[in-house]
Amino acid sequence: MASEDTQININDLSFNIEGKTLLHNTNLSLNGDGITVLLGANGAGKTIFLKLLTGLLTPSSGSTTFQSGNLSIKTRAFVSQEPVILRRTVLKNMLFVLEKITSEKSTLAKELLSLMGLDKKEHQNALTLSAGEKQRLCLARAIITDPEILLLDEPTANIEPNSTTLIEKYLIQKVRSSRKIFFVTHDINQARRLADEIVFIHNGRVIEHSSAENFFENPKTREARKYISGKIN
Amino acid sequence: MNDISEAFVSSLGLILFLDAELLEIILLSFRITFYAVLISSILGIPLGALLASTHFKFRNSVVSILFGMMGLPPVVVGLFVYLIFSRSGSLGWMGLLYSPTVMIIAQVILILPIVCCLTFQIIESLHTRYHEFFRSYRIAKLKSVIAYIVDSRFELTTVVLAGIGRSISEVGAIIIVGGNIDHITRVMTTAIALETSKGNLDLALGLGIILLATAIVLNGFILFLRGKYLKTPGSTI
Repeated sequence: MASEDTQININDLSFNIEGKTLLHNTNLSLNGDGITVLLGANGAGKTIFLKLLTGLLTPSSGSTTFQSGNLSIKTRAFVSQEPVILRRTVLKNMLFVLEKITSEKSTLAKELLSLMGLDKKEHQNALTLSAGEKQRLCLARAIITDPEILLLDEPTANIEPNSTTLIEKYLIQKVRSSRKIFFVTHDINQARRLADEIVFIHNGRVIEHSSAENFFENPKTREARKYISGKIN
Repeated sequence: MNDISEAFVSSLGLILFLDAELLEIILLSFRITFYAVLISSILGIPLGALLASTHFKFRNSVVSILFGMMGLPPVVVGLFVYLIFSRSGSLGWMGLLYSPTVMIIAQVILILPIVCCLTFQIIESLHTRYHEFFRSYRIAKLKSVIAYIVDSRFELTTVVLAGIGRSISEVGAIIIVGGNIDHITRVMTTAIALETSKGNLDLALGLGIILLATAIVLNGFILFLRGKYLKTPGSTI
């Protein structure tokens, strides 16, 4: 489990594709607990940054370390904006990501589905769920792998309000205390509700990193001020 | 015109009274088709899934060659297999020429690229949806390939049916390697060719009707499945 003692260090991380730099040399030191919200306008580079942390993209330079050693992929779980649902039942979707299916894990899967309000749908074809239910399933499926770090790429972008509320409540009450969460959003109100700290990205550069309180009360950069006031989307 | 209508009525009689010769030919056709499609599916579906979900250096070249092989001329395949299995050929010692086994081999060569390429097309679109998820959870290659096949099982049924359709109606290759020997390698298509040339239109028409009915039923079934799967959540057709 991630804890207050752990530290995530991002060293000179950058990502180029076809001669274009999508993330400029980024250096950050983050606490190993709480919710870090990656905030920024559309196309700022939030998802690229998150995918670099997940290991889905290989950085053009730099590295990310978790405490002293390299971050192990096994300890991370990624939930994308578009829920990826396998063509099988809700419960089988949950169990698919496990290396070994034990009776404890099966029980845990059912508990997590219950927490996500999907307990009555565990034998239903997962593809017939609503968008919000699919995203809740994806979140539960990520949690069952017991990740130290949970990386969420706009998980509530296209879902109904009750699912958004349920997911936020779950993250704050059940997950925040035991895991590090990276949460990408461009919804300022959501960032206010969730964030312990904010990483503000603009044009592929991290231009602000501070506690959520500081960021919203006293943004240091002109771009962040514009973004908070809604002048940049 | 009278000859044709008489032959047609006579052929219906052969079908209705389950003529022994007709039945023998039909059963051998179905047997060869069954094994050819079974082997092609066992090899072609996992291979297509693997190709669709794996990136390697010469992948595009391999895929291009495979797609090119979908249009292999059956007579050329027949000649190729004949040369290999003829007495002086490299596998001539097996003594398989003019046997149903070598007919199955020729059909597998013809059907395998079709099954493989159609599988590739179906699973490639699924791979676009799944690959990031599989990577982020470090799903093993074998497990992911199995998942691709399981999750596209409905669509893959149409691939198998397409293989059956191709196999049952094939004549060029199997007439060369099978020799169209009575009671041994005579199948519907080769029998139609022979009986027509002999002027025995009753049997030729009877077999033609069965073959046509098989093709219509298969295509109808494919259309039915496509319509059904289009309504299935997650359809990749």
